[in-house]
Parts: sequence; C-alpha cells; structure tokens
Amino acid sequence: MIDVRDLRKHYQVHRRDPGMRAALRSLFHRPTETVRAVDGISFHIDEAERVGFLGPNGAGKTTTLKCLAGLLYPTSGEVSVLGHLPRLRATAFLQSITLVMGQKQQLLWDLPPAETFLLNRAIYDIPQKEYAETLSELTRLLELGPLLGKPTRQLSLGERMKCELAVALLHRPRVLFLDEPTIGLDVSMQATVRTFVREYNERFSATVLLTSHYMDDVTALCPRVIVIDKGRLIYDGALDELVRRVRPDKRVNLRLSRPVERADLARLGRVIEQKDASAILQIGKDQLQAAVAGALASLPLVDLTIEDPPLEEVMRDLFAQETERREALP
Amino acid sequence: MSVRAAVRAYPALLRTGFAGAVAYRAEFLIWMFSTNMPLVMLAIWSAVAREGPVPGYSQKGFTAYYLCTLLVRMMTGSWVVWELTMEIRQGTLALRLLRPLHPLIAYSAENLAAVPLRGVLAIPLAVVLLATAGRGSLATDPRLWIMFIPAMMGAWLLTFLVMALIGTLSLYLESAVSLFEAWLGLSAVLSGYLVPLDLFPESIARVARVLPFRFLLSYPVEVLLGRLSATQALLLLAAQWGYVAVAFIAVVVVWRAGMKRFGAYGG
Amino acid sequence: MKPRPLHALRVVRALLAASATLAVQYRLEFFGQGALALFWQAVTLVPLWVVFGTRSTISGWTFPEALLVIGWFTALKAFLEGAISPSLMQVIEHVRKGTLDFVLLKPVDAQVLVSFAKVEPWRIIDLFGASAIFIYAFRQLHRAPGLAELCAAFAMLLAALLVLYSIAIVVVSIAFFAVRVDNLMFLFQSIFDAARWPSTIFRGFFAVLFTFVLPLALMTTYPALALLGRLSLRAALGAALGTLLFAALSRVAWRFSMRRYTSASS
Repeated sequence: MIDVRDLRKHYQVHRRDPGMRAALRSLFHRPTETVRAVDGISFHIDEAERVGFLGPNGAGKTTTLKCLAGLLYPTSGEVSVLGHLPRLRATAFLQSITLVMGQKQQLLWDLPPAETFLLNRAIYDIPQKEYAETLSELTRLLELGPLLGKPTRQLSLGERMKCELAVALLHRPRVLFLDEPTIGLDVSMQATVRTFVREYNERFSATVLLTSHYMDDVTALCPRVIVIDKGRLIYDGALDELVRRVRPDKRVNLRLSRPVERADLARLGRVIEQKDASAILQIGKDQLQAAVAGALASLPLVDLTIEDPPLEEVMRDLFAQETERREALP
Repeated sequence: MSVRAAVRAYPALLRTGFAGAVAYRAEFLIWMFSTNMPLVMLAIWSAVAREGPVPGYSQKGFTAYYLCTLLVRMMTGSWVVWELTMEIRQGTLALRLLRPLHPLIAYSAENLAAVPLRGVLAIPLAVVLLATAGRGSLATDPRLWIMFIPAMMGAWLLTFLVMALIGTLSLYLESAVSLFEAWLGLSAVLSGYLVPLDLFPESIARVARVLPFRFLLSYPVEVLLGRLSATQALLLLAAQWGYVAVAFIAVVVVWRAGMKRFGAYGG
Repeated sequence: MKPRPLHALRVVRALLAASATLAVQYRLEFFGQGALALFWQAVTLVPLWVVFGTRSTISGWTFPEALLVIGWFTALKAFLEGAISPSLMQVIEHVRKGTLDFVLLKPVDAQVLVSFAKVEPWRIIDLFGASAIFIYAFRQLHRAPGLAELCAAFAMLLAALLVLYSIAIVVVSIAFFAVRVDNLMFLFQSIFDAARWPSTIFRGFFAVLFTFVLPLALMTTYPALALLGRLSLRAALGAALGTLLFAALSRVAWRFSMRRYTSASS
C-alpha cells in the first residue's frame, strides 16, 4: 500500500555568517552545506494500519511525510503510495489522501467552516448524496453541530481542530497524513482527536500516518511506531516492544517542605536531582507503587507528580543502544 | 514617564530606529520606487510644456518643482498610521503600554530615525535636481534657505501627527484606515503632490492655499523654489506651526480619551 | 495532473461564491469601500482635468479622448485591486503561514486555486464609474462607437486583463525566492498608475519602460484607440501576440516557482 525504499532528501543551504565582511564575501563565494533531512529510510505499510512516526524536532518525520504526500520531491529512493508515485500528483492519488497539520489550517478564516466544506466539495467533486452522508457522519462523530455556522476566527483552538479534521475527511480519503495534529491543544481535546482518529480508522479502514513528538499521541493511537532521528530510521515495530526495550522507568517529582537527607531519597529510587525544596527520582515501573507509598509515608511532601522520562532521554537511550549495536558489528 | 526621562531615552530610541531602518532597507527601496508619481507627472507636464507655454512654469520649472516634491516627500514620510492601527487591531498595543514610554514617542523615534537613511538617498536626488534644473530654479534669498529647515520639520511633524491622530482614532472606529485613505486622496490633490497648486483654477487654489494639506508638501517646496517672498514665507511658517500645534493638541486629547476606552474594553 | 476544464470552472464558481459570501457579511464595508472607490476615481481625474485646462490637445489627444484612456484605467484598476491583487497576495500569506501545502494537495491546478481566492465585489462600483466616464466622453465627442470598434475594444480589454494577470503571477512567483517582497505588488500597482495617461505622451525612458517592460500602453491606450477606431490591425495583432507570449512566460515562471517550492529541481 505504502512502500518506501531508501528514501533520501537532501537540501543545499547557504550558510552566511553575520556581519559586513561576510556579507561582502558572500557575493563571491557562498559556502553550501548539505542538510540530510532524510537519509535512507525504508518501510512498508499495509492498508488500515495506524503508524506513528516518532522522533525529536528536526528528525525528518515531517519531511518523510511530505515526500509521501507528494509535496516534496525525494532526492533519491522510491516512494509508492496506493500504487502511485506521489510526486506526479495524479488526480486519483490526490483524491485518496488528506493532510492535517497541527496549528495550520485550511479553513477559511473569516467564514464559517460550512463554507470551506462547500468549497472542498466542489474541489473534490463529491456527489451530493455522498457529501451529505459523510458530513452528517463527521458531525456526529466530532460533535460539530453548533460550530459549523460560526466564523472560524470565533472558534477556540480545539473547536477549530475538530472542524479541520472534518474538512480534511469530507472526500473519504484512504490515507490520512497527520502532522503533529495535537500540538497546542489542551489535554481533553488531544484525547478527543485521538479517539476520533482511531474510530475513523476502524470504521473506514483508512490508513493513518501520524507524526508527533508527543509520546502520548503514539501510545494512544498507534500500535506500530517508526522512530526517526537525524534522518535515519532507528526503530520500526510494535510500540510496547519499544517501551519495554528502552526505558521502563518513571520520573517522580517531589516538592518538599524542608530539606531531607540524600540517603532518605536514595532509599526510594535513583536520585536524579536534589535541591533544598525539591527532588527528582527515577524509579522502575515495578517498584513505583512501593516507592510512592514510601515517599508519602516518610517524606515531608508538599507535592508529588509522576511522569514519563522526557522523550529526549528515552530517545538518547535508544540511540545509545543503537550506536553500541552498530559499533559492536564487525 | 516624565518629559526629562523621555528626552534622555530619545537618542537610544533613535539609534534602535535607525538600525531597524537599515534592516528593512529592501522594503524602503521598494517604497522609494513606489513614490514615482512626481516623476510621471513631470513626464506629462514636460510634454505639455514642450508643446506650448504653461502659466508660471517652464520645462525647467516643472523639473525643479517635481524633483523638490520628491525630495520633500521622501524626507517627510511616515508610516505610523499603519503600525498603530495594526497594533490596536491585534491587541499588541497593550504590550507597548506596559513600557514606561509613551507609545507615540516611541513611534516618533522610529519614524524619525528613518530620515537620515532617506537623506542619504536624497543627496543624489538633490544633485540631479541641481544639474537638470540649474541653480536658477532654486531660491536665491538666504532667508528662505534658513526658513527651509523649520518648514521641513513642520512638514514632518504635521504628517506624523495627522497619521498618529487617525491611527489613534482606530481605537474608536473600525474603519480608521478608510479615513486615512480619504486623507491621502485629499492631500494628493491639495498638497501639490499631483499638480502645483497655482495651476488650479483660482477659486480652488485660494482654498487650497489655506488648508493644512499645503503645509505637508507644497509650502516647503515653494520655499525651496523661491516662489515666496521672505515675508510670505515667514507668515506661512507661522501658519504651518499653528497647524502643527492644533494637530498635537488633537492627538493628545484623542489619545487620552482613547486610552480610557481601550482600558475599559481590556484591549 | 490532467487538466479538467469543466471541473476547474466549477471550482472557480465555488471560490467566487465564498468571496461573495464573505463580502455580504461586511455590508457596511461594501458601501464604505464603494464610496472610497468613487472618491479615488475623482482624485484620479483631477490631474487630467488640470492638464487639459492649460491646453485642448496634448500629443494629439483631446480631453474626451484622454478620458477614454482613464476610463479603461479605472476598469482595469478595479480588476487589479479587486480580484487579481487580493487573490495572489494570498499566496504570499500561504507561504508565510506554511499553508501552501494545503493548496498543493488539492486535485486542482494550484494556479487556478490561488487566482480566484479573494474577490472584492464592491469594486464593481468602479466599473459603473468607468461606464459613466465612457458615456460622458462620447457625448463630448458627439458620436458613439460602432460595433466593430466595440468588439475591438473588448478584445483589447481581454488582452489587457491577461497581461495584468500575468504580471501579477510573475510578481508572486518572485515571492517564492525572496520572502519579503509582498510590497513588490504595491510597487507594481504604483507603476500601473502611469497607465491613466495616453502612452504616446511619454518620451524617452518612460516610453521604453511603458511599452516593452511593463506594457501599460497596451493595457489602457490600445482599448481607447480601439474605441475611437484608430487602432491599426498591425498594432492589435502585435498586442495579441505579445499578450499570449507574456501569459506563456508567466505560466513558466509560476511552474518554476512551484517546482522550486517542492524542491523538484534539487
């Protein structure tokens, strides 16, 4: 369905230092650097899969997505989506895909979303009956009722996102490209978006490709993840396998009413940071419950929060393992 | 903020404004080339004057007039109305109000700081002017040359203050920009930008000579071209600064009232 | 993408409907802007009136004949400022906001989508103003244009619109290379202002500029000459050919910019 073989995307960028002398020099000699945004990625995705592209900012996830959507020409490699070459932008191809970008919208700003819907209906040549069915379905799933008649600029960010999703799906695409769709949304709206995408995928067997740097998006939505960093594919497989493999620890943030001995903290877990009024511990998932109970009982706590270690650390561990693995090869 | 403090801060503001003007030099160049109306009008009048006499203006006279117009326009232009209306509409004026510096003073520094940059470009223009129209087209009375400086300052101030006034009005009116367009249209006609005021029929010229538009452009040009006697120039200088004073008071009043309103609506 | 003209027309209709809906929302602005448009028309006429106050003929043009040129100028300005410029400025907004990708992903030629993005219907008042100027001018000339002249003038109008549109496309295509050039459109509009004068008045540098570099002569003087029955066939054919050439070049410039945006040429 989606076939990517050794995809590469390189950019030539002109580097220019600030200052007058450099500006003059640049008239004669412009040093170019090659940025390897995507550096040899291969994978295969079947129909109706939900795949998450994970990786830090600048990893190459969005670039990969845009190559799949036909928005960027690859430097080399083969890309095939639904049997089409995306860069040729055949009508049949464009009718079967859709793109949703977080914090960027295609809705007309000063008009109600309903107007953009009508415009897209003409653009995608959707027959009236099919349009009405799809619209009522989406309105129901996303609870759009009161939103459709208000000008887009009067909607909150979350409401706009729901309408964005609707307008992107009016033409019943078979492939959904979602580029950081939950960025900037509050927690409940993020959950709404994830639930909706999963429901849509299950109902219409649409393939979903999601890029995100929120672990939660991927956890909630994608059984399969592809991890990309520095343009390279680091991991491609089931999500729980990744989590299990990389860092099964949790971070516990403590706020204290008075300083405590380091030993008291070390008893509960590994001390990452300690200040007079706060501390951060790293505790394995299995020991978490006991450690929290211990902290509540023995420490002068003002506040306690539990979170995943930052994604960057998880990735760093992942890459460290990768590097070790690569170096260990003969 | 006290006046003393504002005066102390002004040089720094000017420096920043100048840096900004340099950074935006591409935009400035494009603006400069967009202010080409006087050159087009010159081409037209040259053709007219070539085919026959025009009362009061020879071909050289037209050249001198329109090149001076270009010069004065370049040196007295401002853009505060656009910035102010945009900041009000987007609500970012509130950020300016948090600083211990009156926004209008900040704007004035920004706009004033662009003058030296324009001056640099005005010099070749002045050279062209002297070369093509000759010294004979310009004023000979040294008193007029002395009065040219305050005339230019007055023109700059009047331009800026009227823009600031209309910009401030967008605290009340959605369509302050349209009001400014009306002002632009009227001043294009009545300030001598399109056509020298003496070439209008006498009834219109008489009205145009007392309206404030004349003092935005035509008056400094008339001084430079020596088309006024020293006494006339002095009287008109007083009139110009009279208009400046009126504009200043209007801005202060409208701004104060507008701030109350702005505050009430939370900005 | 294979061209589908009927579909494209349907899309254009939908785009215009969206613009109309937006305009209706701002009813008050409709009349306010309409009044401003008429005001600017009056301002435009003042220099012409003063110039012809000194003399009855300039470079072979009488006042009513020169009015015809201004009439066409007003009509073209309406299209330029009411449709061409606002629509194509959206492209620059898209590039700035990063939403051009949405345009490129639609199964319609991107140039079609951006060309009709925003139309300001109150500029139709300009067209009424232009008609009023035409009627007045012909009354002064004590005659009316014949059918042949009207057809020729209409053909020249279409050519003028196409040239105007092509220039705008080229300006916007430049914006892909140099991001801060939205005032290039402003520059073009200010240069276009010279088109209100019959082009034969200009000599030397301006004559060259306005005939070959930016064919303002073609845009307003030729339709006026056509109405007066003074447009030679050679000039008309030259204009038509030049227009088609310009349009083709602008399409190439657009395609080139699009390819650059999608880094097809890297």
